[in-house]
Order: sequence, then C-alpha cells, then structure tokens
Amino acid sequence: MKAAVYWGCVIPTIQYGYEMSIRAVMPRLGIELVDLDNVSCCGTPVQSVNMFAALYLAARNLAIAEKTGLSDLLLPCNGCYLSISQAKHFLSHDEKLKEEINSSLKEENLRYEGSIKIWHTINLLHDFVKEEKVREAMRHPLKGLKLAVHYGCHILRPSTHDTVDDAENPRKMDELIEWLGAKTTAYPEKLDCCGYMLLLSHPDAAFTFTGLKLKAVQDWGADALVVSCPSCQMMFDMRQKSAAATIGAKLSIPALYYTQLLGIAMGIETEKLGLHLNRSPIDELLRKAGLTSTTASP
Amino acid sequence: MPIKARVAIPISMSITDLTTTKKPDLALRLKILAKIGEQKPYNCFQCIRCTSGCPSMKMLELKPHEIVNLARLGFIEELITSGIVWTCATCLKCKERCPQAVAPVDLIFALRNLAVEKEAKVPESFLHSLSAILETGFIQKPQNTVTRKLEKVNREKLGLPVFCETDEKFKAAFFKVLEQSQEE
Repeated sequence: MKAAVYWGCVIPTIQYGYEMSIRAVMPRLGIELVDLDNVSCCGTPVQSVNMFAALYLAARNLAIAEKTGLSDLLLPCNGCYLSISQAKHFLSHDEKLKEEINSSLKEENLRYEGSIKIWHTINLLHDFVKEEKVREAMRHPLKGLKLAVHYGCHILRPSTHDTVDDAENPRKMDELIEWLGAKTTAYPEKLDCCGYMLLLSHPDAAFTFTGLKLKAVQDWGADALVVSCPSCQMMFDMRQKSAAATIGAKLSIPALYYTQLLGIAMGIETEKLGLHLNRSPIDELLRKAGLTSTTASP
Repeated sequence: MPIKARVAIPISMSITDLTTTKKPDLALRLKILAKIGEQKPYNCFQCIRCTSGCPSMKMLELKPHEIVNLARLGFIEELITSGIVWTCATCLKCKERCPQAVAPVDLIFALRNLAVEKEAKVPESFLHSLSAILETGFIQKPQNTVTRKLEKVNREKLGLPVFCETDEKFKAAFFKVLEQSQEE
C-alpha cells in the first residue's frame, strides 16, 4: 500500500523516536509512506479556542492529502486522529458546514471531498498488514516479556466516529504484542488517561494522572509500558521523573512506542528506531529481551 | 424567576454557590445550545454516569453532570468565569458513556470557545498555541533534544528529512477564518 502520512506537530518536532520507528518498520511491511507538503497543525490545540477554526485546520490537511490522489492516509498521532476523524464525521453529516469550510479553503485553492480513508498506526498494522505479515517479518521473538498497553483516549472514543478499536475493551494493540511472542497484562488502569491535555492548565494534576498510571503499571509487574500516542509517550517517558516527583513515588518503568517494540522484534538496530532518545530505562527492557542497546541483530 | 432556578439545582457544590446570587442568562444559553449540535443538555436525567468515570473529578472536582445542568438552566456566564471548564482532560469517556447522548465534553468545548470570545478566564497557554499556529502553521518548530547518554541531536543528526514548512498563503487564510468565526 502507498499511503500519505500526516505527522502533526508533536511527532516531527520532538517525539522523533515515533517518526524514526515508523519510517523504519512500515516499508518492510509493504507500506510505502508519502510525506505531505505545506500541511499545518491538525486543529486539536485550537478546539478549546475556536471549534470552527479547528475543523478548518483538520479539513485543510485532509484536502492536501486528497490532492495527492492516494486513497489512504496514515495519522500516527492520536490527537490528530481525533481531530481529523471528527472533522470527517461532522462534515459528512452537515452539508452546509462542509460548504462553509470549503469556501474558506478556496483561499488556497483547496477543496475537501471526504474521499480519503484514514488509518492510525495501530489499526493499519492490525487490520491491513495483519498477523501473518507481522509474524513473518519477526526475527527476534520477544518471549518472556510481560507488557502493559496504553492506547490513548483519542483513538478509542467516541465510538460514533471512525475509531480504531473498541471504546471500553480495546484488544488490537494487545494482539499486536502477542503476535511478537510477548504477553500483555490486563490491568484495571488500562483505560486511564495520561493527563497530557491538562498540562497547559493544570500541570500538577496532569503529572498526577501520569504518575498514578505508571505506578499502577509498575505495581502490576509489567516489564514496560507500550504506547501508541506521542502526547501520552511524552508524559510517560520524557516526563516520567516529573510525574514521580509529583506523586512522591519511585518510578522506573520503560515506556516505548509499539513501532519501536515491533522494530526490536524485526531485528532493526535500536538507534534506527530512536530508542536512544527514550528517557525511561529502556536498556533494562532490552536486556530482558536478550538484546544489547546498540544493535538488535540476532 | 431566579428563585425557581435556584430550587431546580439539585446538588450543592462550590460552583452552584456562584449561581445563587445570579440570574440565568437565557440568550447565552441559546447561543451555547446552537454551538453543540444535536447533543442537547435537555436530554440529561442526571444519572451521573459521566461524573463517576471522569478522571478530572478525582483530581480537580470537575463534575460533568453539574456543568450540563447549569448550562440548561442558563448559568453560562458563571460557568465560563469560574475556570471549571479548563479542568477537563478531554478523555471523552463522558461522551462515550452517556445513555442520553448528551456529550458533556462537547458542551465543555463550546463553553471554552465562549470564554475566549467573551475574554473571560482563559489559561494563557491556549492562546499561545493559537498564535504559534498563526505564525508558523504548527504549535512549535522542531526542537533540539538529547539522547539518554546526553548527546545533543536534531532531525538532521537523526537522519530525518527536513521538516515541512507551511507556506505564507496559509497564514492569511487562517487569519481570515478566525475573523469570520468571531463575527458569526
């Protein structure tokens, strides 16, 4: 499949590990990625300020993606996925709104049709690439690892939109991990929010959300937390120390993207997966998986 | 009339205290209802399922069912000046679980939009994001970062392609969109 990819703000400006691991694993699984030119913010940061402007931004990026003529668009970030799936939902149910947005888009000679299909990393791997291909690409099964999964709110809800998995009992990421030979742990805090969206207005509360979830993952004995959203990963990985200080606990739990984990299992060098950028104790996880941190070749 | 409204608020709480000396504002109520489409707060029967699953309830005392109730009574001004609407983490569980399809989170977003419009209490950083997007198309430019071994890196060093820039035409178009939506 040849798919357009829209990276958003968070991934290409700071969460480089996600971008690197996606660029490393996707072509090996038959997904050719086409970067988009002249795109802008997805609209999520503007929703609180001006919902119409947020819809405009989402539709603008969709219109640019549609212009490529490709029929599939990958949105690796959960925030972008929500904003863009929401815009698709609203604009397909409201002809008048669609025309209003399109008349604003005309300024840049763009037009939103609603023709492109959107994917998130998780359902693209689970529903399109599928089990057989993922297993085939594996060089280094992750036997013996017990992992906790964090989906991130914005690809699961609201189920009235085109979401990635079941809103209350998501399983796709769990299955993706099981295909790699590792086990996932069912823990009560699985659907708890990371707190990222409160970072702007209530940072202490945000870090308490993050800390309590990490503490739970640690207490249930997971070897790592596997994440699919750059904002969540920023909290769990980059800000793990702030979270620990906020809740007054010792936290030492590796947090990584599913695509990084997949890359490890595929035998890709850890530096190509951006694993040297994770701040959480990844080396410990690699040791448990029987790997060293520089190279993952079997 | 305000007395009737006071009696109708079923649960005592800090934000309700704000409303006891105020009159409901029916015009503002209509304005908010127009912003949230089909998910009308009238349908709410205060089952409190939203609040029982709300992560911000534990930490910041956000009670989505009370927001819905206050909005349908017309205490809009009080809601947007209290700052309570900025405690939502937008996890969307309330929208998912409401048996009446009311979507408290959509109402919270509509109230935030109105707070911005009326220049009420808005956390500054939300407005900073907007001006960054107006300026560059994104909330931020690519940042320098460090590896676990404290080696400085950037996109180029990591072998990533050049970050796509948004062209000048976008800024003018986006500015026009912001102006238009404020007029409506």
